[in-house]
Amino acid sequence: MSKRILCKFFAHGACLKGEHCEFSHDWKDPTNNVCTYYQRGICSYGSRCRYEHVKASRPHPSASSSSALPPAETDLSPLPSSCFKQAWDLDSLDTFNPATAAAKPEEQPICSYAAAGDCPRADECPHIHGNICPTCGKRCLHPFRLEEREEHKIACEKKHKQLQALTLSQEIECCVCLERVLSKPTPAERKFGLLTECDHAFCIGCIRNWRSSSPSTGMDVNSTLRACPICRKLSYFVVPSVIWFSAPEEKKEIIDNYREKLRSIDCKHFNFGDGNCPFGTSCFYKHTVKPGSYAWKFHRPPPRRPRPSGSNFSDVDTLVNMIGNIISEGEYGTIGFEDSDDDELTTTDMMMLLMHMDHAYHDGRLEEVVLRHLDAEDGQTVIAKDIRLSDFLEDMHI
Amino acid sequence: MQQSRARLFKEYKEVQREKVADPDIQLVCDDTNIFKWTALIKGPSETPYEGGVFQLAFAVPEPYPLQPPQVRFLTKIFHPNVHFKTGEICLDILKNAWSPAWTLQSVCRAIIALMAHPEPDSPLNCDSGNLLRSGDVRGFNSMARMYTRLAAMPKKG
Repeated sequence: MSKRILCKFFAHGACLKGEHCEFSHDWKDPTNNVCTYYQRGICSYGSRCRYEHVKASRPHPSASSSSALPPAETDLSPLPSSCFKQAWDLDSLDTFNPATAAAKPEEQPICSYAAAGDCPRADECPHIHGNICPTCGKRCLHPFRLEEREEHKIACEKKHKQLQALTLSQEIECCVCLERVLSKPTPAERKFGLLTECDHAFCIGCIRNWRSSSPSTGMDVNSTLRACPICRKLSYFVVPSVIWFSAPEEKKEIIDNYREKLRSIDCKHFNFGDGNCPFGTSCFYKHTVKPGSYAWKFHRPPPRRPRPSGSNFSDVDTLVNMIGNIISEGEYGTIGFEDSDDDELTTTDMMMLLMHMDHAYHDGRLEEVVLRHLDAEDGQTVIAKDIRLSDFLEDMHI
Repeated sequence: MQQSRARLFKEYKEVQREKVADPDIQLVCDDTNIFKWTALIKGPSETPYEGGVFQLAFAVPEPYPLQPPQVRFLTKIFHPNVHFKTGEICLDILKNAWSPAWTLQSVCRAIIALMAHPEPDSPLNCDSGNLLRSGDVRGFNSMARMYTRLAAMPKKG
């Protein structure tokens, strides 16, 4: 059938398909000069089209089944008529306005030019112009789609708030480096470190550095390092945020989001049940017990192996300091404890103390020790016990 | 290193800007080394140090502001918390209560406050501390005033 229609490319002098072409390479056959766009309903060239704008009068492959005009949809044009109404398609707009006007108003899209800010046709635009959104000031509220309106309003307000917060955040300086946090050289540095207990601003790098710095000159970990450098309020963890908050609810949201995110990350200390996480059930990270792991088999964390040799701690202060170091070291320095609640801290601190007792035998005060996981629900979970001082002394040849 | 330098540079600019604002403190940076500073502070009024000008030397450590600057009096001063010979200062914020939010300027202010309110219970200068602890405020005042006259005041005539 198609062999009877002259090949377009052959007519222009070059058909790559040669004799395999499905169209006729015989000059005697008629050309197909019917505009296929017109057949489907619209042709953007209108009267200037070089193809014939006729209703399909004779059968030909592409238009054989198409009826003359939309909006009566055919198999060949499965798209709704509104899809053909493009803003640049001025002719078709005029032609097919009555068709669209017949549809329900809520099914018509609003003018995208007006929604973006400016419609060149203004009052003469055949499309509906949306109502002005009070937040963004653009004509993007569909007058008839109530749900869409509400959705836009909510999303727009949220965006607007974020933008405002970001603008305000630009001005905020870190009290440690005295620079504007969001003007730091690298993107990784352009983050705030929020302290849970007070509202002073720092960059995440500065506050983490300070909290993890070694207490060299007898600085107390709890009263100095983990306290806010300005108001000295004790905070147990630092929350990174790209934005500074202006209301307590916003701060809470940032902190909640952060903890939510951490909860989805596996704890590297817990190591799926094979490791020993110093934070126990208070850990911010996910503790997944893998089948076959130590915790899966014995329902308790694996024992901590005491270090074979170590420094000789001479008094309890050093021990406490050392534990403080451990608490404040590394990333746990910033997200150490879950609660600022005093009771919680004491148990956690005690847990830390007991778990690290193995370092402290050398001072000769402790004969034997039971390491308990005090943070476990019953408080009775034993991690390790009966590690004798004499064993250590032998090792050390004292 | 880079961080402390940047921060000290910030402080330097701040000092230049605030020069007029606080007439009691003159903070000067060493021409060649930003880690060495000197300060001239005026003795607070209604104290035996009134009228004296005291020179302080700052040595800023590299991890600054994570570690406090080392400050000592270059001018002799009779004060329970300042070592009479070395000029070393016993002040919690320069030791265990340091916070990176302090600046050199605020340290100077803290030292002025210390001059006005001595802590005789943690003395570096025992003689001075003992005078105060035994309640001899008059004796302490006259000693302090004498040393202020001798060391911290420009010689007359």
